[in-house]
Amino acid sequence: MNQQLAGYAPTPVAARMENHGRHMLKVAMASGQDLFARTGSVVAYEGFVQYEPNPPAVRQIASQWVTGEGAPVMKCSGDGLLYLADYGADVVVINLDNDALSVNGTNVLAFDAHLQWGAERVKGMAKFAGQGLWNVQFAGTGWVALTSRGTPIVVDCGRGEDETYVDPDALVAWSPTLKVKGKRSFKASSLIGRGSGEAYQMAFSGQGIVVVQPSEDSTDRLRIRG
Amino acid sequence: MAREFQRGHKAKISDLTPGTDLYVGVQIGAPGLTFDISCFGLDANEQLSDDRYFIFFNQPKSPEESVQLLGAQAGDTESFRVTLDRVPPHIHKLSFTATIDGAGQMSQVGPGYLRIVAGGEEVARYAFDGSEFSTERAVMLGDFYLKDVWRFAAVGQGFDGGLEALLKNFGGEVAEEEPAAPQQPAQAAAPSFAPPPFAAPAAPGAPAAPQAPQPAPSFGAPAAPAPAPAPVPAPAPPAPAQPVHTAPTLAAPIAPAAPTPPHGAPAAPYGQPPQQPVPPQQPQYGQVPGQTPPHGAPAPYGQPAPAPYGQQQYPQQPYGQQPPMGMPPGGMPPGMPQGVPQGVPQGGAGLEAALQKYRETATGQRWTPQNQQLMRVDLAMGGTPVLARQGSMVMYQGKVDFGYKGAGFSGRMVGNATGQEMQLMRCTGRGQVFLAENGAHLHPIELQGDGICVSAENVLAFDESLQYEVRRIEGHGIPGGALFTMQFQGTGTVVVKTHGVPVVLPVTPTTFADCNAVVAWSAASQVILSSQVRLRRNAYPGHSGETVNLQFRGAPGNFIVVQPYEV
Repeated sequence: MNQQLAGYAPTPVAARMENHGRHMLKVAMASGQDLFARTGSVVAYEGFVQYEPNPPAVRQIASQWVTGEGAPVMKCSGDGLLYLADYGADVVVINLDNDALSVNGTNVLAFDAHLQWGAERVKGMAKFAGQGLWNVQFAGTGWVALTSRGTPIVVDCGRGEDETYVDPDALVAWSPTLKVKGKRSFKASSLIGRGSGEAYQMAFSGQGIVVVQPSEDSTDRLRIRG
Repeated sequence: MAREFQRGHKAKISDLTPGTDLYVGVQIGAPGLTFDISCFGLDANEQLSDDRYFIFFNQPKSPEESVQLLGAQAGDTESFRVTLDRVPPHIHKLSFTATIDGAGQMSQVGPGYLRIVAGGEEVARYAFDGSEFSTERAVMLGDFYLKDVWRFAAVGQGFDGGLEALLKNFGGEVAEEEPAAPQQPAQAAAPSFAPPPFAAPAAPGAPAAPQAPQPAPSFGAPAAPAPAPAPVPAPAPPAPAQPVHTAPTLAAPIAPAAPTPPHGAPAAPYGQPPQQPVPPQQPQYGQVPGQTPPHGAPAPYGQPAPAPYGQQQYPQQPYGQQPPMGMPPGGMPPGMPQGVPQGVPQGGAGLEAALQKYRETATGQRWTPQNQQLMRVDLAMGGTPVLARQGSMVMYQGKVDFGYKGAGFSGRMVGNATGQEMQLMRCTGRGQVFLAENGAHLHPIELQGDGICVSAENVLAFDESLQYEVRRIEGHGIPGGALFTMQFQGTGTVVVKTHGVPVVLPVTPTTFADCNAVVAWSAASQVILSSQVRLRRNAYPGHSGETVNLQFRGAPGNFIVVQPYEV
């Protein structure tokens, strides 16, 4: 039996964060290098890892992330290996090298605690996507892991003067250098009850990238389960 | 969903994966034998005209790092990372080979494979075993070759003479046939494997890299001070096919006697296969110059990479080296981190590198699958509008209008009868629209005058130039009373979505499909409701029976498409 399962054994650690398959993240923990991870995303761990839900530092930075509740991240510290997943979503590991990235709040899986980060509400988008669109901005040098429902796609915005329009439910991440605004794409005909189904988009302009997932399922599964 | 290759099979890489960042893993093994697995980058005449593109354990990456040796991992005896779009234009073929180190022949080889992994998924696998070979001592396993586009071929061709014959085949020159004096190749090795100047741009003091002997790494490889190569500054890239450059490669297999330690650090580990089946240096995934000494430099070979921060507490286990198999240091499980490696992922550091494999791919065609789940349509091309299911647009660029498209009388009938609206939107204008829905797999089907019936729920988008009509297949037991299908005819593309990987079956006299799982069928086949439902009802009283089966009839050449999902 072990013969068949042996292929799924973890590979030797080569980096702080690695994919184990498409849907699981493996983080090598060491003391002094804390990690923030989405609450409820730990599927397994090896070694001595401690968790602190809703730590004070986070409460301060992400105080308005979700009003009235704790921010949905926890601090992990210790030595060992941590395995994270979000209900089978694809995991994308990014090694920031003095870069900055804005990530939709529900698509954040884990990130290095030493990164500069902050949560903010996307301006003008609050009324669009149900609970409002929260994004977390990261900057510095370190590791970030994102989730995406399906294989994501990365598109350059700085092509021509045309803006790039994205369905807010499919948006995963974007460069903070981009200018963002909300766009209602209806015309007179759609006001009389015959919309095209695509009423709101976010318009990005400027130089940078946008990451989009091939699914309009933006439900926060980790949050629903609690 | 790996595609199985047999010897001689060929395929375009783009048919296997849209990505160009590939991982190639080779597993080969035989009791008591060790193998050297290497990659030859050949020019248009299939010659190794530039020996910087002979990627093996002593030269683990090509100058621009489009081909990198990664070492043993994930069950593979050896692995490579190949970034096809960075391969320079004069390289037309990458040939992956395995040679036996020492005595032995290929017929002793157990089951092995060469596999291609892209985006974390295995996309191709060529399995072989010793029965395909006889007395060969080297084998070409597979090739990536450039014929208009990059393609992969499973080769499986053996060479009796081992690495030597292989090199001759590729136009490499054999320096000395006699068991060479060890010092000759060892010294000759220095310039040839010193990195070409541009290979290590950021390396701190690259030419001066081999300084004092570093603390010996845990595996005890001879991290000899290597006095000879040290002062040699990185010279200009070695002239192609100069005999000495191939010398160390050849000398080692021909001269099984280990060179004496004082000579040549570079050659020493290679000459000691019995103790050291795996070359001790495991070049890690995507180390960039600047963080580690250049791998190509001869002297630091086998010496620990300078540890990045977070490493100090485990000086004996530099991250560049994996713990030797079967002897976890300090009794810790092998997978346990020895300090957190802050290594850089494959592709190098930075946001751009991490997202490179997810880049938009533009092919200049109207419909371009971006990955299995996302379709890009360029409205400017072809000029006809596209009808798409409402809500399936995830992104667009350019000036595109989305309008309501009434489905017509029959279309509304679909909506009413099934209880769910099948509504379309009309995308017009100039620009690119990206379509996807719930991560379903998308398949563009190009019609050229032929017809296809698609279950209405599985239609994602289609060209407006196609004629379509809605049909209903009525039957007891079908949810909603009837199965609605859209029949498309004409010239254009239909994008069909499936949950999971579908199966395409030829229509035979006995072809049945679950009405909930069937996705599409060629319009010329005839659909009959199967009577099996009755039997099932009788068999399970009180149970409503599973579902209705549809039987298909038609002339040979017709097909049906079924998805692994029954809703």
